[in-house]
Amino acid sequence: MVSFIAGLLDATVQAATVLLLAGMGELISERAGVLNLGVEGMMLVGALGGFITTVLTGSHWLGFGVGILLGMVLALVHAFLCITLKSNQVISGVMLTLLGTGLTTFFGSGWVEESIDGFPQMTLPFVGQYLVDIPVIGEAFFRSTATDYLALGLLVVVWYFLYHSNLGLEMIAVGEDPEMADTMGVSVFRLRYLAVLIGGGFAGAAGAHLSLAFSQLWVPGMTAGRGWIAVALVIFAQWRPRRMLVGAYLFGLLDALRIRSQSISLTVGPDAPLAGVINPIVEFLMNPQIMGTYPYLATILVLAYAVIRTKSDQLAVPSALLQSYSRETD
Amino acid sequence: MNVAVNVDAREDIPVWLAYGTPVFTVLAALAVSAIALVVLDVNPVAAYATMFVDTLFTEFGLRETLTKAVPLILTGLAVYLPLKAGLFNIGAEGQLVAGALAGTWVGLNVSLPGLALVPLMFVAAAVAGGIWAGIPAYLRARWDVNEIITSLLLTFVALAIQSYLLRGPMQGGTGNFPQSERFSEAATIPELFGGVHAGLLVAVCMVVVTYVLMTKTRLGFEITFVGSNDEAAQQAGMSKFYVYLLVFVVGGAFAAMGGISEIAGAQGRYRAGFEPGYGFTAIPIALLGRNSAFKVMLAGLFFAVLFVGGSSMEVAFGVPAALVEIIQALVILFLITAEFFKSYRVGIDVKRGPAETPAQPQRGDD
Repeated sequence: MVSFIAGLLDATVQAATVLLLAGMGELISERAGVLNLGVEGMMLVGALGGFITTVLTGSHWLGFGVGILLGMVLALVHAFLCITLKSNQVISGVMLTLLGTGLTTFFGSGWVEESIDGFPQMTLPFVGQYLVDIPVIGEAFFRSTATDYLALGLLVVVWYFLYHSNLGLEMIAVGEDPEMADTMGVSVFRLRYLAVLIGGGFAGAAGAHLSLAFSQLWVPGMTAGRGWIAVALVIFAQWRPRRMLVGAYLFGLLDALRIRSQSISLTVGPDAPLAGVINPIVEFLMNPQIMGTYPYLATILVLAYAVIRTKSDQLAVPSALLQSYSRETD
Repeated sequence: MNVAVNVDAREDIPVWLAYGTPVFTVLAALAVSAIALVVLDVNPVAAYATMFVDTLFTEFGLRETLTKAVPLILTGLAVYLPLKAGLFNIGAEGQLVAGALAGTWVGLNVSLPGLALVPLMFVAAAVAGGIWAGIPAYLRARWDVNEIITSLLLTFVALAIQSYLLRGPMQGGTGNFPQSERFSEAATIPELFGGVHAGLLVAVCMVVVTYVLMTKTRLGFEITFVGSNDEAAQQAGMSKFYVYLLVFVVGGAFAAMGGISEIAGAQGRYRAGFEPGYGFTAIPIALLGRNSAFKVMLAGLFFAVLFVGGSSMEVAFGVPAALVEIIQALVILFLITAEFFKSYRVGIDVKRGPAETPAQPQRGDD
C-alpha cells in the first residue's frame, strides 16, 4: 500500500510539472489579455527542438534552452498576428497548434529512433539526502529531475512577478483595462508582446521537459493533449498562480490514478446492499478513458460555477481577454 | 532618411482585394510549404503536381475528394453558421464524434430496412450532435459562459467517451482493436454515382438550406443582425437567447451528419481516430467561405483535395502527410494577415534628409 501511494505520488509530481510549466506561461499571457490556444503546438516544437539539440550536442540543458527559444519563436507569430495585426486570438491560436503539430510531425519523423541522456533524477543539494528519507512522500517530491524543481521555483517567481513587481502589475492592468493602462503611460503593445513571449517560453520549456526529462524520447504528437489540459488548468485555477499549483497537482493526481485505475478496486462486495447498482457505476467512473474526461469536466464546472455565481464584473477572467487593442484617435 | 509606416482604417474594401484574398492565401500557403519540401530534398513542383493532378484528373482521386469533402463541408457549415451570429464553435470535432457515435449505435442495434434505417441514423446523429453543441450554446446564451472554451473542452470529453465506448460496450469485429462491428448492408449509405456515397447529397442539400436560411429568410436576417450588433438586435425585439441556441444546435447537427456520413458511407465501421481532425479543419474552411454557404462548399472541396493529395504525395515521395497540416496552418495564417490588409491601408512614407521631428506616434503597431 505504501509503495503504491509512493508510486502514485511520484507519477503525480511528474505529470504536474508539465502542466505547471505550460499553465504558468498561459496564465501570464492571458493575464495580459492574450489567449493563446497554441500551447499544444508550442510544446511540440519545444519538445522536438530540445530533443534534436540534445541528440546533436549531448547537453540536455542546451536542449532545454533551445526548446524555450523555439516556443518563443512560435509565440512571436501569435503575438504579431494578435497584437500588431489585431487578428482573432482564437483563430490564431488554433493555427499555431496546427502549425506546431504539422511541423514537428513533418520534420520529426526521422528522430523517433534516437535516444538521449536526458535530465537525471537527483536530490536537492545539502538537505536532499535527508528529505528523500521522509516516508511515502520523500522519494516522490525530493528525488526528481532538475526541471521538476525548476517548475516549482518558477511558480514562486511568477507569483511574485505578477503581484509584487511593477512590470507584473502593469501586465495585469493591460489585461484588465488597456485604455486606462495606456493613459497611465504603460505600453500596451510592448507588455502584451512580452507576456505572449514569456508564455511561449514556458510552453517550450514544458515540451522540452516532456522529451528530455519525462519520457527521454521523441514521438510525434507526444504531448497527447497536455497543452489543452494546460489551457483548461488556467481557467480551473481562475487565473491565479497559487490555485494553479493546487490544480496542477490535482490534474496530475487524476492522470496518475487514471493510469493505475485497473489496479484499484473500489467496488463493494457482492453481498453489500445495492451492490448491483453501485458496482457498475463505480466501474464506469473508474474506467481509464472516462477518467480522462475529469479535468475537462471539472474545468467546465468551475468556469460555469464562477460565471453563474459571481457578477460578471467581479469575474476572475481578465476583462480585456480576447480583445485586441488599438489607439483610436478619431 | 526617415521612414514612417502609416496604418489607416479603410472605409471600403477594394474589389480586387475582396476576391483576390482567398486565391492569394492559398497560393502563398503552398509557396511557403514548398520550403518544407525543399528541406527534405523533394522537388516541390513535382510534389504539388502529384498532389493536384493525381487528385483532380484521376477517377480515384475525384472519388476520394468528393467522399472526403462530405464531412469537411458539413463541419465547415457547423463553424460557419455560429460565426454568422458572432459565436465561435471550435468544438465541431466533438459534435462530429458525438453524432457519429449515436448514429453508429442506431445502425448496429436497430433493424429496419435500408430506406428507413439510414435516415434514422442521420436523425440520431443530428440529435446527439445538437445536444453536444447545445451545452456550450445554453451556457453562453443563458449565463454568458464563453462558448469557445466550453465547446473546445467538450471536444476532448467526446473523444474520451469515443475511446471508452470503442474499447468497451461498442467494441466489435475480430481482434482487440478499438472499433465497432461492421455495418450491415441496410445501415450503409447507398452509392450515389461512381463510388461516391449519398452523403454528398446530404452535404449539398445542407449547403443549399443554409444558403436559403441566411439570404432569404427573416431568421437568417436575425442571425446576421445579432452577429453584427447583439444589443441593437435585442432592442429591435429579437431574441439573442434563441438565435445563439439555434445556430449552435443546428451547427452541431451539421457536424454530426458529417461524422455519420463518413462512417456509414466511407468507412463501413467506426474506428477510433477514423478522421484526421475535420472539426479543426472546419475553422479555415469557414473562414475562407465566411461570405456564403457556397463558398464554404468550395473551401471544403479545396481541403478535400489537399487531404487526398497529401496522401498520394506521401505514397509517391515518402513525404509525411503532415505537410497538409502545415499548409492548413499557413492558409489560416495568411488569411488573417490578409484580413488586416483588408481593413487597414498601410503606406510607407520615405522622406529624404535628416529627421526634423521625432517620429509620429504610430497607430496600431509598436
